[in-house]
Amino acid sequence: MPTDIQPSGPALPLARWAGRQLRAMAHDYGLPAIAALDGATLMGERGSNNGYTISGRTSAGLGGSRLLPTRDGGWFALTLIRDIDRELLPALFCDAGFDHTAEGAIDAAVVRFDCAELVERGRALGLPVASADEFPASPPVEVMVQGEHRQRVGGDRRLVIDLSAIWAGPLAGHLFWQADMEVVKVESRTRPDLIRRDDPATFDLINQGKANILVDFASEQEKAALIALIRRADVVIESSRPRALRHLGIDADALVREVPGLVWLSVTGHGASEEPANWVGIGNDCGVAGGLSRAMAELTGEIGYVGDAIADPLTGIVAAREGLAALRSGKAQRIGLSMSAIVAMALAEEQAHDRAALDAELRAWGTSVGAPFPNVPRRAIQGEVRATGADTARYLPELAQC
Amino acid sequence: MKPGTRLKSAACDTEVMVIRCADGQIECGGAPMGEAKPAEAAPLSSDFSAGTLMGKRYVDADGKYELLCVKPGKGSLSVDGVALVVKDAKPLPASD
Repeated sequence: MPTDIQPSGPALPLARWAGRQLRAMAHDYGLPAIAALDGATLMGERGSNNGYTISGRTSAGLGGSRLLPTRDGGWFALTLIRDIDRELLPALFCDAGFDHTAEGAIDAAVVRFDCAELVERGRALGLPVASADEFPASPPVEVMVQGEHRQRVGGDRRLVIDLSAIWAGPLAGHLFWQADMEVVKVESRTRPDLIRRDDPATFDLINQGKANILVDFASEQEKAALIALIRRADVVIESSRPRALRHLGIDADALVREVPGLVWLSVTGHGASEEPANWVGIGNDCGVAGGLSRAMAELTGEIGYVGDAIADPLTGIVAAREGLAALRSGKAQRIGLSMSAIVAMALAEEQAHDRAALDAELRAWGTSVGAPFPNVPRRAIQGEVRATGADTARYLPELAQC
Repeated sequence: MKPGTRLKSAACDTEVMVIRCADGQIECGGAPMGEAKPAEAAPLSSDFSAGTLMGKRYVDADGKYELLCVKPGKGSLSVDGVALVVKDAKPLPASD
């Protein structure tokens, strides 16, 4: 245990990088509300508000992600938060009798394999996994499809349709709301955004001011109404794997080609095209895949998670920045964002900007296991938090008569 | 056959990961699946040509077999001639 526990923990590494992105956005687009935000708050408010503790090789908060040593001396990050994923562990470990409930069973199984083999098989299985020593498979930001220009009139409020869930995509939507856009959060009748239930304080912060509509994706009529709404929109934010989008009946590439000026942001774990588009990644394992845990281990000798689902807030900020740039260009485009590659980019840029300061922060974070997360000011809720489906009739009026 | 084994169809592009299995013959498009693709493709049986879908899990009625499609193809999956069916899985976000 560290002997010098402070009431407020060490600074969040990469918060200064996040702050610079926010300030640049505020300056380039003249957005005072974004100028008032700071990187440490957006990255640390969930951990601070919930009293998270820096917990080393277990992710902060619910502890759903763990870093485990492999046979070849590597570190394997495995996130297990859903029962449907636990059912895949016998296949991951090639052991029909594998029982994940036995004490230490996962650790003992991981150390029987080389890291790369586990990552390859885990990704094929659709598990959120990573290696501390991988190189991101996709660029951080990738323009995938382009369409026609749209001439926008200055005074019109931009319409944003936010189909994403949890943190990264919704944070991008929140920043668009801060930029005075009209943001509509879409939830599925069968699969609402679970953060509303699991962490209502964070849900309220990043979804305040958004309208809320509820869509039954099993209904062809409701899906058609949603697509009609998307055709009126300026921006779409989505974080589904390609097959899930197809299952929802949404063809992003076709819509971008057909709707002039439509900006489509695809938030992914490891990239939106080719094989990595099928991989699953969430904030903590994507931080590992982006090289941040390895960078900390090189300084402290001890590996661990850095920050709280750090890839999420970094990606939300980058997605907003890219979305604003695309809107200004007027050209329809689908932009793929890779959370793991965004972490790697932020790390490399911060190392180039001020290596000594970043290394000091990573060293402090790595040697503060057991300490509380840094305190950040609790932001006031300034917009209404709409109930699930409160605005369905307003945005999808064709459904109102049934 | 162990869970975690990757099997390829002899009759189409389908590839699966074995999640759960017993001693029966796993087939796709009516032909046995193997870890390697045969030099000569097997004919696609019209009885097993409904296609496989990426990311879907396929199961038998007794719950002894479960296969995850990691590459889709034109054939459909069976064990000892009995067709497997899609297990109802919830779609999930790609990130966070």
